[in-house]
Amino acid sequence: MSSRTAGGLPPPLPSPVRRGRAGWGRAALPALPALVLLFAFFLFPVVRMLGFSIEDGSLDWYAKALGEELYLRVFWNTFEIALLVTVICLLVGYPLGFLIATTTPGWATLGFIFVLLPLWTSVLVRTYAWMVLLGRNGVFNRWLIEAGVIADPIPMLNNFTGVLIGMVHVLLPYMVLPVYGAVRRLDPALVAAAEGLGASSWSIFWRIYLPLTLPGIFAGATIVFVLSLGFFITPALLGGGKVMMLAVLIEQQIHQTLNWPFAAALSAVLLALTLGVYSLAQAFTRQEARP
Amino acid sequence: MIGSAAALASRGALAQEPPKPASIVVNHSGGAMGSAMRKAFFNGFEKKYGIRVVETSPADFGKLRAMVESGNVEWDVTEIGGQDAIRATEMKLVEKIDDKIVDRSKYPEKARSPYVFASSVYTTIIGYRTDVFKGGTHPKSWADWWDVKKFPGARSMRDHPTDNLEFALLADGVTPDKIYPIDFDRAFKKLDQIKPHVNVWWATGQQPAQLLLDKEVVLATGWNGRFYDLIKKGGPVEIEWNQGALKQGSFVIPRGAKNAYWGQKMLAEMSVPQQQAIYATELGYPGLNLEALNYVDAKVKPYLPTQYIDKQFWIDDSWYAANGTKALELWNAWKLKKA
Amino acid sequence: MASRSADLRVEGLVKRFGEVVALDGVSLDIASGELLTILGPSGSGKTTLLKVVAGFETPDAGSVRVDGTDITTLPPARRDIGMVFQNYALFPHLTVARNVAFPLEMRNVGKAEIERRVAEALELVELEGYGRRLPRQLSGGQQQRVALARAIVFNPRLLLLDEPFGALDRKLRETMQLEVRRLQRRLGLTTIFITHDQEEALVLSDRIAVMNKGSIEQVASTTEIYERPANDFVADFVGESNIFHGTVTEVGSVTLDSGRRLLIAHPASVGSRVGVLMRPERFGRGANSFNGEVKEAVYLGSSIKLRLACDAGMELIVRQPSGALPAIGSRISVGIEPESIHVF
Repeated sequence: MSSRTAGGLPPPLPSPVRRGRAGWGRAALPALPALVLLFAFFLFPVVRMLGFSIEDGSLDWYAKALGEELYLRVFWNTFEIALLVTVICLLVGYPLGFLIATTTPGWATLGFIFVLLPLWTSVLVRTYAWMVLLGRNGVFNRWLIEAGVIADPIPMLNNFTGVLIGMVHVLLPYMVLPVYGAVRRLDPALVAAAEGLGASSWSIFWRIYLPLTLPGIFAGATIVFVLSLGFFITPALLGGGKVMMLAVLIEQQIHQTLNWPFAAALSAVLLALTLGVYSLAQAFTRQEARP
Repeated sequence: MIGSAAALASRGALAQEPPKPASIVVNHSGGAMGSAMRKAFFNGFEKKYGIRVVETSPADFGKLRAMVESGNVEWDVTEIGGQDAIRATEMKLVEKIDDKIVDRSKYPEKARSPYVFASSVYTTIIGYRTDVFKGGTHPKSWADWWDVKKFPGARSMRDHPTDNLEFALLADGVTPDKIYPIDFDRAFKKLDQIKPHVNVWWATGQQPAQLLLDKEVVLATGWNGRFYDLIKKGGPVEIEWNQGALKQGSFVIPRGAKNAYWGQKMLAEMSVPQQQAIYATELGYPGLNLEALNYVDAKVKPYLPTQYIDKQFWIDDSWYAANGTKALELWNAWKLKKA
Repeated sequence: MASRSADLRVEGLVKRFGEVVALDGVSLDIASGELLTILGPSGSGKTTLLKVVAGFETPDAGSVRVDGTDITTLPPARRDIGMVFQNYALFPHLTVARNVAFPLEMRNVGKAEIERRVAEALELVELEGYGRRLPRQLSGGQQQRVALARAIVFNPRLLLLDEPFGALDRKLRETMQLEVRRLQRRLGLTTIFITHDQEEALVLSDRIAVMNKGSIEQVASTTEIYERPANDFVADFVGESNIFHGTVTEVGSVTLDSGRRLLIAHPASVGSRVGVLMRPERFGRGANSFNGEVKEAVYLGSSIKLRLACDAGMELIVRQPSGALPAIGSRISVGIEPESIHVF
């Protein structure tokens, strides 16, 4: 491309220069205390855990974790539930985050309170509340029966549905907040511009809001998915003991059978799975951000 | 001369007694049990010795092992599961009970383990809704429990192999003395039949009573004390004691406990029959001091499992200590199996 | 590019935001193909006026007509008005070409046609070959051109520019001003340009509307606005000025409030209160002479600017052809001809 085409203006800029290595070194210095903390409370235990899993000098526990049908099935269960929870959180959380970001401050505050409430409530209270609402003789079923919608109670508790509802409830904020942030960061002038250029509300959503809030969606989905993988109490209490997730299995190994090397191996596989999902999401987000 | 000898002796006794700490830590499973222990044992202990009793929960074998192995033992006395107590003894995680301090002379022979203090007896039995099963129409055995035609309705059982394997064998016609060693194939085959009728596999002790109260299920296995509590409060629930699975509650002193001596004193307090009577009245879990029953109100006695020992059977902790891991693994696999 | 340029008439526009009156009965006519600048300080209501015309705000009273059709309540998407925003508002996730194609896609124009018209528009703003870049890979001036291309590619009936050059440096701004002027002439596009920069207004416009506190103070050609402002505000806001007030005491003479008499050429009637405006660059020699002490002297390259303290507390800003700066504190004399004094 010659400068002729640009009418004497400077030739096109090269893509933004990446920060050099020297810049990182200096940037890391103020973060030193945080790094030390991270090492002491995060990295060290993880390394210790990995050490446990190969304590006897073999990979036998990994072979067990990845070789036996029982454990593969639990891995798959966990993955499946995490995926479903993520999809539901996305479908519910995106519109919610969007609404809170675009409504009046009063409504936004109210919306926030409702979305964040589960984070401020203890697991047991929350779970018990769901039991009261979703049970066979719970509030929802009684309403539906009284209204004549159904004759027999719908099983919403002590099964897969119950687990999904409970998990979505707790994890929703992690989806709503990034979406909210992404929508808020979006320059309102872009929306006005699109409108002025002839875009319908529908087009504005699909062509402007959705692509520009994708990073928020990915951030939210990643957090929800990763947190879902480690869920423990909710599946145990709302699933009627019929939904087995990996964390439950790990807990059994630690507290009941005291098979710590195996617990460590299971945890390591879960960690690897989590990091895999995370880096996949990262790669995807980066690609989205700079096509 | 005599006077000074007496003084010396008493000084000697004093010298033997380690200095009093400001507090000791007793770890237990919490909830209603904690408040009953406070009422029956801790308050008296505090008054007697001037040592505060700090309570923590829950009982956690993994944590006990971690504490002892790291040498940082926070607990002076801790509750522990029956089979875990055996394993803890084998793994040398616990102190020996000092019989000079803890008087167990009125305990049954069986309940005088050198390392484990048997605190109480409890049993896993059938709880049922009295409005669904009126006038003795409820299941009275595990064979009945399995008979879903005659006794229809959603059931809840514990999400654990212990109890359930035994119940399955009994339902299948095995006599109580032939339960152990457990025939896994036979037990799980029988469990297959009941699986579709179990609405909730419970994970925590308060679930069965709550599930019955909410009418989420009409039949639930559960620990007698939890049903007793609901019955005391007027809940529409009763207990069938037949073929219940008896277990003993156990307490141990972790090896290397900072105040092991005062831990022994605590166990001594917990072996006093009058105190055990208070505890049994609160929770429905009688202690093993055989004299304790003399101090219990007649109205409470029908709710104590020690009244029905001959209709029930004892869970074999030593069998589980050896086979528990295997049982749990098979249980998990069975749970995951598509029906 | 075929022009569908239209004329615009706004009448009696009123817009309140709570207690604040943003537009206080604004009426304005813009002829087809004309470039009108709305000039005013921030908070004068000019942006609100633009938003009402574009459809982003609904007025409390009054109407907006394009070619005689009332569009007051029409949503922005259906007004066919091209708009360039202060910060360009380019879609950051779309390439330059997709940005420019956006209004055409919204109008369901065919693919081949879109390609042709996008290329044409980019050529018009001298950005051919930049179509596959992202906005952030362009300089500010280039982004501005993309915004411009996007605003004209669909042959709007009206082009609105909201302080579009505010973020550019001076040199680039001047280039862009001329470019917009060239483009607007070439396309014959009815254009409203908003700015608070009076110099920019003078460079660009056919006519200027000066706004203040929600009202239009004066609408006139650039020379008229500069030479013959209607009132203090316009005189003061457009260009540098020396403004005084006084009474016409006899034909051809004003006695200022400070007591100083000025000879004027304006045929104001005797006894009327008037304002007088003396542009700094009009001083030289003349029938009215002033002697004052130099308080400030600034060298500006092509000229020098002086602040003089004259008798009776009068202060004058004077521009003179470039030369040696007089010493601060020295006294100099300047004069102005009666014809160079504007009386209003």
